[in-house]
Amino acid sequence: MGYLEIRKLTRFFGGLAAVMELDMDVGQRQLFGLIGPNGAGKSTVLNMIGGILRPNRGQIIFDGAEVTKLPPHLKAQRGIARVFQENLLFSSFTVLENVQVGYHLQTRIDLSSIFLETRSNRIQEKELEQKAMDILEFVGLAQYSNELAINLPHGRQRLLALAIALAAQPQLLLLDEPVTGMAAEEVETMLSMIRALREQKGITCIIIEHNLKAVMGLCDRIAVLNFGRKIAEGPPEEIVENPAVMEAYLGKEEDVT
Amino acid sequence: MNRAGMVKVLVCTGAIVLAIAAPLVLSSTYWTSVFTSIVINALLVASLRTILTIGEFSLGHVGFMCLGAYTSALLTMKAGLPFGVTLPLAGLLAGLVAFALGYPFMRVKGIYFAILTLVTSESIRLLAFNWRSLTGGIDGLIGFPGAGVLSIPGLGQLDFDGFTEYYYLTLAVVCASLFILYRLEKSKLGFTWLAIREADKMAGAVGVNVLRYKVIAFSIASFFAGIGGGLFAHFERALGPHATASFGVMTTIYLLIYMVVGGKARFVGPIMGAVVLSLVYEFARPVEEYQPMIIGVIAIMTVMIIPEGLIGIPEKVKRWRPKLLN
Repeated sequence: MGYLEIRKLTRFFGGLAAVMELDMDVGQRQLFGLIGPNGAGKSTVLNMIGGILRPNRGQIIFDGAEVTKLPPHLKAQRGIARVFQENLLFSSFTVLENVQVGYHLQTRIDLSSIFLETRSNRIQEKELEQKAMDILEFVGLAQYSNELAINLPHGRQRLLALAIALAAQPQLLLLDEPVTGMAAEEVETMLSMIRALREQKGITCIIIEHNLKAVMGLCDRIAVLNFGRKIAEGPPEEIVENPAVMEAYLGKEEDVT
Repeated sequence: MNRAGMVKVLVCTGAIVLAIAAPLVLSSTYWTSVFTSIVINALLVASLRTILTIGEFSLGHVGFMCLGAYTSALLTMKAGLPFGVTLPLAGLLAGLVAFALGYPFMRVKGIYFAILTLVTSESIRLLAFNWRSLTGGIDGLIGFPGAGVLSIPGLGQLDFDGFTEYYYLTLAVVCASLFILYRLEKSKLGFTWLAIREADKMAGAVGVNVLRYKVIAFSIASFFAGIGGGLFAHFERALGPHATASFGVMTTIYLLIYMVVGGKARFVGPIMGAVVLSLVYEFARPVEEYQPMIIGVIAIMTVMIIPEGLIGIPEKVKRWRPKLLN
């Protein structure tokens, strides 16, 4: 019994089976890697766990409750947050405001907060600002808090995307290519941050990543997808030596290099 | 208070003082009625902008104004309710219709949403056109009462039937409405609307119920369009559903032009656009057939020279002045 259980998850796009009868168990506090060639269905799996896509068949059980068909905002309420592959940010907002959006679930929006500037409203405002600053401190963006998100370089935008997701207080974090396109040292920062999230906050992560070295070094367990089906699952050491994986994925990489 | 805040308060007070003084200074029924329609336009365009805060634009705002207008007119005529009751009901009905339509409509975005709103507003107009027993059909509604005597807390019984009195009533209602819209935009609610405009997928992923917040924005905007319609109805004292009249698509187009010319980035922009262009429209009355063309030329010039709209002028002046002096 896993923390996140996926049973026979299936999704079609037209006649194409993007994901076919996927079974997957992710344990609590696990860093779970999801790899496979382009078009293998990795992002589709994350989209279904995050609620953006509805599966055609199958079940997603999170923390003992079925969440298969919940829309994204209800998944977020249950502690599943998503960091997207693209730099999806609130680009005309400042860095601090970006993180404050992440606190939506803890923000009270009522008539008094709209029309009155009461003391308790101001206190709430200050508290949220402080919490958002703490998260920025954690990802190392505190000094850029007043800059516009759109002006940050790529690597810092990725960190900001992570910060927004963290503000939603997730138990399970879905990371879609967290280190792709980053410079070597930025990759290290991001990886150690993901490890710290697990150590300090007990956050479980599912990570899609093309940077295989990063995935192998980071994850406890890896599942390999090809043409929407799982072809292997196990600890990184096993995955590297699995002949099916070599053929489907790693083999191709060797041909290229 | 910082300097920007001071400027805001000064501009606001100045505008209100000007609006209060205008009919007294000019003391002409004609201009007072022009000002009344400008003030109503300001509310319509400011509420249209509320839909823009979630990143959508509506081509059917006038439909909700039409709903409000007929609701208030019919309730005073057939049910004999006072204006003080029918006006909020006009807004409420428009808001409720928007709420019901919002759930299916807000599932689509951009041009698809715009088309749905356009079709809705035309349907509402045609409903008024064809439902003869209720709305009088092509003959329209005439002879319904004006605002009449209302009891205002603190001021006692006041008669708002006169042109000037009705202007002040309109001004008060619109100012209050604009204040509400402004506070909404600056609140956490408005912040969430803007977040949805920026990246709805990301907002959803951190727990924002995107559909619900969009529907709330649409309903609030339509509520105030309904209020605008109610104010319009008892100002005109006659309603007709002709395509070219007030409830046709052109009215929405004009509202969009006010918004673009004034500048949609700030709350005050569309209101400024409405005031300036309505005045231009009035001054161009001697050459009536060219009125739309004049407005069109101004719109094009604005988009090309100051795409930020009228609110972008101070910024531009700041940048041009050093160049001109050198």
